[in-house]
Amino acid sequence: MNEQQLHAKLLASGLPGIGELDTSARDPFVRVDAGSIVAVLTFLRDDHDCRMEMLHNLTAVERPDAIELVYHVCSLARHHALTVKLSCPRPDGGNHDTWIPEVPSVAGVYSAANWHEREQWDLLGVRFAGHPDHRRILLPEEWIGHPLRKDYVYPTWHDGIPLELDAIPLYEPGGGQAAAEAAAASAAGAAGAAAKAPRKAGEPLFQPPAPLSTRPLAPGGKTTDTPASELGSH
Amino acid sequence: MGILNNALPDIAPVRAVDAAVGWGRGSSLWPMTFGIACCAIEMMAVYAATFDLDRFGAGVPRATPRQSDLIIVPGTVNAKMAVRVRRLWDQMAEPRYVIAMGACVCGGGPYVKWGYNTVKGVHKIIPVDIFVPGCPPRPEALMDGILKLRENVTREAVFARREATARILDARGG
Amino acid sequence: MEALELYAVDDRADVYTEELKLNLGPQHPSTHGVLRVELRLDGEIITAARCDIGYLHRCAEKIGENVSYLQFTPYTDRMDYLSSMNNNLAWSLTVEKLLGVEAPPRAQWLRVIMAELNRIASHLIAFGTYGIDMGAATPFFYAFRERESIMALLERPSGARMLYNYIRPGGVAHDIDERWLPDVLAFCDEFEKRWAEYNTLLTTNKIFIERTKNIGVIPRQMALDYGLTGPVLRGSGVKWDLRRDVPYLKPYDEIEFDIPVGEGTHGTLGDCWDRYWVRMLEMMESIRIIRQAAVRVPTGDFVEKAMLKMYKSPLKPAAGEAYMRCENPRGELGFYVVSAGGASPIRCRARGPSFCNLSVLDALLPGCMIADGVAIIGSLDIVLGEVDR
Repeated sequence: MNEQQLHAKLLASGLPGIGELDTSARDPFVRVDAGSIVAVLTFLRDDHDCRMEMLHNLTAVERPDAIELVYHVCSLARHHALTVKLSCPRPDGGNHDTWIPEVPSVAGVYSAANWHEREQWDLLGVRFAGHPDHRRILLPEEWIGHPLRKDYVYPTWHDGIPLELDAIPLYEPGGGQAAAEAAAASAAGAAGAAAKAPRKAGEPLFQPPAPLSTRPLAPGGKTTDTPASELGSH
Repeated sequence: MGILNNALPDIAPVRAVDAAVGWGRGSSLWPMTFGIACCAIEMMAVYAATFDLDRFGAGVPRATPRQSDLIIVPGTVNAKMAVRVRRLWDQMAEPRYVIAMGACVCGGGPYVKWGYNTVKGVHKIIPVDIFVPGCPPRPEALMDGILKLRENVTREAVFARREATARILDARGG
Repeated sequence: MEALELYAVDDRADVYTEELKLNLGPQHPSTHGVLRVELRLDGEIITAARCDIGYLHRCAEKIGENVSYLQFTPYTDRMDYLSSMNNNLAWSLTVEKLLGVEAPPRAQWLRVIMAELNRIASHLIAFGTYGIDMGAATPFFYAFRERESIMALLERPSGARMLYNYIRPGGVAHDIDERWLPDVLAFCDEFEKRWAEYNTLLTTNKIFIERTKNIGVIPRQMALDYGLTGPVLRGSGVKWDLRRDVPYLKPYDEIEFDIPVGEGTHGTLGDCWDRYWVRMLEMMESIRIIRQAAVRVPTGDFVEKAMLKMYKSPLKPAAGEAYMRCENPRGELGFYVVSAGGASPIRCRARGPSFCNLSVLDALLPGCMIADGVAIIGSLDIVLGEVDR
């Protein structure tokens, strides 16, 4: 069955919250409401014509106005696949850092979703209500922040481990700090005075520049496309 | 003065003992079976038949750090793993040597710019003797690194290692 | 003579036993990388297991959002570092789907040969390290001997022994030299003889069979429920292979090859031995594919001309998304990439087969002994670079 027929089957099932099929995408997808995702996936898994035995992938995508959850389910018996999307619109004035959207967990429908949902919680901060084991999976348990958010600030230390690009090395023959100061003192005074102001405590040495992909800087604002000449070396 | 302070006089018999012990240590560097990432596969290729590390005496990998002389750190070290790498190094007995294999542990490698939890170089965690760059370094490059380490080990004085490590740990505060 | 009384330790009420918590990994000779499994043991038998991963998390998805599409190709190499060509292939196909371009025929046939050669190399490591997990060191050296031949072959077009960065969006990176295809065919002849040797080492070895039969049985429904793919799924009797069922490269439609599945030869269907045997048979199927492909590589461009501009300025696909999955040696690798019109994707998700295959471990380990647990982990054939990305 192709995506149109699967969508028709979903609509005919009488489940609430099933949206339209978006055929403009390269993989047509069905939008569903958050409340009915468990029922929809259960129907897709158990219905005789759909028989979607496998949840292939579960992704969360942070868009400017929402966080979307994308479920790729596929059927081995019927040789078809479908993409189901769930959208959690950003609340007005929502601060990126503290907004944690919550959706029902589908770990009860497909056991594969267990680890996928833990990963999306870990990296993007999406809560899954009803998940049996809701904790981080890839990052250390005590990590703060969800790294795949667009405004994530890179940490410089974690639990005594330096994560900076050029932190003062712990091991250096002759001593790092002392050697640097001696070299600076012997250099010309004019060059030394203007060059290096002491770094404030807690200020990161290296903050990665903004990503190349377009992202809105203000609600409703336009982004400027970075011209090719400004794309430096990575 | 004397052995207890690691300050032996530089006379011929002491130098002979140093040379003998150095020759013995260099010819039997036992590494630890420790593989983190892609470089571990090239490290396994060095142990295997075509490149054969055993002919240099270093082909007896020990699973436990307490019995190994050498830890080759192949592969990116991230925040979660760094704690364990440090713990493994702490568990090794003197004299112990570290080879940092691969671009990731030499200075961050491909993950230096956008890796939020990668440690940019394992020398921030443990003192490194030999850096072998490459992504991954060819098995010949790793062998070259091990042979250079062997030269260094052969020329070391018997108690020099203990003194050097004590100095590092004192400077860092333990 | 008085009879000896044999006590069953479990039944004695005055023997106090306690559950032992043991840590397997992250530094362990048999965990195939930096995997940590928290075990709770009743003597030698595992009562509960919990996987702890993330020791090789290298922020691949964040990197994907910050570098261009072409620049992400080497990072896909490093995810499943044993099958770099296949990872590159999955990424390139995803980007091509997003752009709506197709690689020229010569590139497609070359991609098939590279992917299958890498499949053999990857299964060789699975075979060699599985022997070491069981305590047999010899297969490891044999496997690496063949792997050196494959790496020498793959080094000639790509320039690297292991992390090739060869299959790129639009085609492949460089063309092959004229002696390459005959050398590949010579390798195929050589490999078929060696494969027979491997069978004498492990496949028919009574000790190996005893250690792998009826261990880690994955029933069909469990495999589908946990999203297992690749030899792990086929070892449970499910005849599903993306190269045949959801073809992602045209040449696969024109090549004859079988899909080996487990049959419960020595024990229950879906045990460790079945998964091992599926990998061994897949090596021979890959040789069959390479033989057919090597004589049919057409002349022509090795990269789509319209894509050559990606070497000068970054690709900027139109806004949209694409999901593409490919049959890797470990399972189905899926890339889901979302573009907003910029030079980097806004979301670059890698669905690693080893990540999904490993999730079944928590359910498989309880009830077996530690040595069997090592056999199960080895039979899942995971690579932590792909589990953690």
